[in-house]
Amino acid sequence: MLQLLVAGLTVGSGYALVALGIHIVLRATRIINFAQGEFTIVGGLVALTFVQVLHVNTWIALIGATLVGFGLGLAFERFVLRPAARSGDWALTTATIGMVSILLYGHALVPGWGSLPQPLPAFSGDVSDALNLGGVSIQIQSMWVVALLLLALAVLYVFFDRTYYGKAIRAAANNPAGARLIGIDVTNARAVSVGLAIALAAYGGTIIGPITLVGGAGGVAIAIKGFVAAIVGGLESPAGCVLGGLLVGVIEKLIQGLPGVSYGLSDPIVYALLLLGLLIRPQGLIGTRGAVRD
Amino acid sequence: MFAAIVIAFGIAAAGNPSIAQAGTYAAIYGIAAMGLSLLMGNVNQISIGQAGFFGLGAYAVAYATTTWTLPGWLLWPLAAALGVAAAALAGIAVGFIALRFRGHFLAVATLAFGLICVGVFHEAAPLGGAIGIQDVPYPQFGALTISGYPAYWFAWAFAGLVALASINLLRGRTGRAFEAIRNDELAADVLGIPTRRYKILAFTYAGALAGLAGAIYASFLGIVVPDAVGVPLSITLLLMVVLGGNGSVSGALIGAAILGVIDISGHQFENSREVAYGVLVIVVVIVAPGGLFGLLRSRVARAPAAAAERAPVPARPRPPVPTGHNDAAPLAVTCVTKRFGGLVAVNDVSFTLERGTLTSLIGPNGAGKTTLFNAISGVGALTAGRIVIAGTDVTGLQPHRIAALGVGRTFQNARLFGEMTVLENVMAGSFRLERTTRGATERAHATLARLGLEHLAGTLARDLAFGDRRRVELARAIAADPWMLLVDEPAAGLNASERATLQRDLLALRDDGVTLLLIEHDMRLVMAISQRVLVLKFGALIADGPPDAVRDDPAVIAAYLGTSV
Repeated sequence: MLQLLVAGLTVGSGYALVALGIHIVLRATRIINFAQGEFTIVGGLVALTFVQVLHVNTWIALIGATLVGFGLGLAFERFVLRPAARSGDWALTTATIGMVSILLYGHALVPGWGSLPQPLPAFSGDVSDALNLGGVSIQIQSMWVVALLLLALAVLYVFFDRTYYGKAIRAAANNPAGARLIGIDVTNARAVSVGLAIALAAYGGTIIGPITLVGGAGGVAIAIKGFVAAIVGGLESPAGCVLGGLLVGVIEKLIQGLPGVSYGLSDPIVYALLLLGLLIRPQGLIGTRGAVRD
Repeated sequence: MFAAIVIAFGIAAAGNPSIAQAGTYAAIYGIAAMGLSLLMGNVNQISIGQAGFFGLGAYAVAYATTTWTLPGWLLWPLAAALGVAAAALAGIAVGFIALRFRGHFLAVATLAFGLICVGVFHEAAPLGGAIGIQDVPYPQFGALTISGYPAYWFAWAFAGLVALASINLLRGRTGRAFEAIRNDELAADVLGIPTRRYKILAFTYAGALAGLAGAIYASFLGIVVPDAVGVPLSITLLLMVVLGGNGSVSGALIGAAILGVIDISGHQFENSREVAYGVLVIVVVIVAPGGLFGLLRSRVARAPAAAAERAPVPARPRPPVPTGHNDAAPLAVTCVTKRFGGLVAVNDVSFTLERGTLTSLIGPNGAGKTTLFNAISGVGALTAGRIVIAGTDVTGLQPHRIAALGVGRTFQNARLFGEMTVLENVMAGSFRLERTTRGATERAHATLARLGLEHLAGTLARDLAFGDRRRVELARAIAADPWMLLVDEPAAGLNASERATLQRDLLALRDDGVTLLLIEHDMRLVMAISQRVLVLKFGALIADGPPDAVRDDPAVIAAYLGTSV
């Protein structure tokens, strides 16, 4: 049971970061970025390339992948989201779905990436290294995942709450017209928001890489779980996104641990449970009814 | 429609088996795309889970035809009927879910539906798990085996029927309801259009069509695997609709035809083909949001269509206003309270209207007037209290049910259907009375003539001048001959002559026996036409009486001027 909890928190950390990324893009552009999961996959693969081609360790690869993710995000905003925004919200959402198709199939075409998941070297020691705490064995990598999640949260908190630029971005997201009036470059703030969100995706894809492998076709599932996490926690609240992500991860692992449930059936059960949960409590665990309006 | 014939004949003439195969795929995907196009383009509901319905149809046929022993002519039709029924039922379920979700939430909910379906197909042992169901027989009708070239005609026969059915659906009453819902769901509901029912209908129709497409696909290909009906198929269907032109039958077929051909000719370029799809979607939504058919249409056929619309229709004599069926008060509001969180917008308000009178509801901004209107017309649930209209308890009823009693309403911000013409707006107003398009057209023309608005019939509502918007909305509200009408700030923003016209129109309605409740800030108008005035302040009723008495009431003066009594 505790073992499953630990496993759940580990994958949940990944979902939490995806949920946060979705939250940031949603605030900046009013749409759901369906490609957030694919960017997570691609981010992990970029880290793999750093390791394989430049022979750096996973830490350096993490920094590299995050920076590349930021660049990808800026490009995504400039060449896809910004032009598509003129055609309306549906067009924008459809464009992110088009991006899913590009990344999902495109990454298999990149030399060295392929369509099969590959292992990323551990952050320290060996992937299977574990601590034994009162009968529960905890992978060292799981601890790194949670620690790195907390680090990312701290950095984001300082950026959005303590720096002038971060506050300007929040203002631009809350009230674009008002922000423009007081001299904030809203277009630029949007671009940086999307850049940050994709950087976060790449970061998340890399930190869970040693455990879950990088690459493969799981991006859509990651994106939808991230979105569900964001809704469960309350789309409006970053803390809710993180809690929601951890919760979705734990629920998923608990279901997989149930006797008689095959591994492949756990995802459909998670989706069905969450659809049901949403029907009953659409405002999420945290958050008020008003937040439900699209 | 002609697009379907052109595509069908064009490819058939070539007589080349691989092109016939591409054509068959185009027909199969076209069927599913037509359903999705109706859902997205006509009702403004997104679905990224159509592959789930497609899979239900495909698996039902694959399972039934490989396990049942029936004569050939009966086997496929029964199996396909099972598949379509399963998909339609799933469509009803998703439709109910869709009532709860909007926008992003709906997109994700439908995507989750698609993923759930694939997951179940993957795991269900009778459906063959990851290997799927092999050796699905071709449909067999006597000596005729539906495969290869005959399959092409078989699939297109279905596609043609579906196209006809869709066009028929969209041209009729259902199409008018869809168009109103797409433009403004709330206004449509208040006009008496059962929006929930129509949204579920749209999901059911789209689901059934995707199921039919899946049913043909399974027996055409002879094998069904879970991965073939996964998220990529949902994305491909979405792409067909976006590429061809959202909300048009021809557009969906064009999109399906193009992708059907690319699909076959690009088989060896797996992965890069899908990347190209993604790029194509993005380019299309940026460059041509109306799709290819949208581009064609905007080049060719705009002007003549508009002219045909203007053909004069003889005005019918207006039917007498029904006066309700019993002697009960037209409206009795009892102890109604409405809270938004901590804010009490309407606080324990009670009053009763008398038949055929004009009553004004006034009060400072934020006094709860519009909230009270919403409560009476069924928009949002009450916190407490009871509302009875002509003897019928309407507390908790949906807006369209209240409208069906013969109650009309206008909105403070004139919620016209912007993308529809004035005539179409007024036609939507008579939705509840007129079942045929012809009847609705005639009644709309008569209503416009009654208010002297005939000259605006062909104008798009979003192009109207402000004062005209108000009058068109009034026309839309009275097109259904309501015997009680709630009018929310009709004079706001009107100039003096427009106000005089409004005053005349309102008094004419009252003289026809219509019971009127009016929210208005223009005191001169209120004092001139009201028989009774109700005053709200901070949600509570503070005065009620004839205009003169209310005007001199110290509490009312205090409410407006802010002095304490």
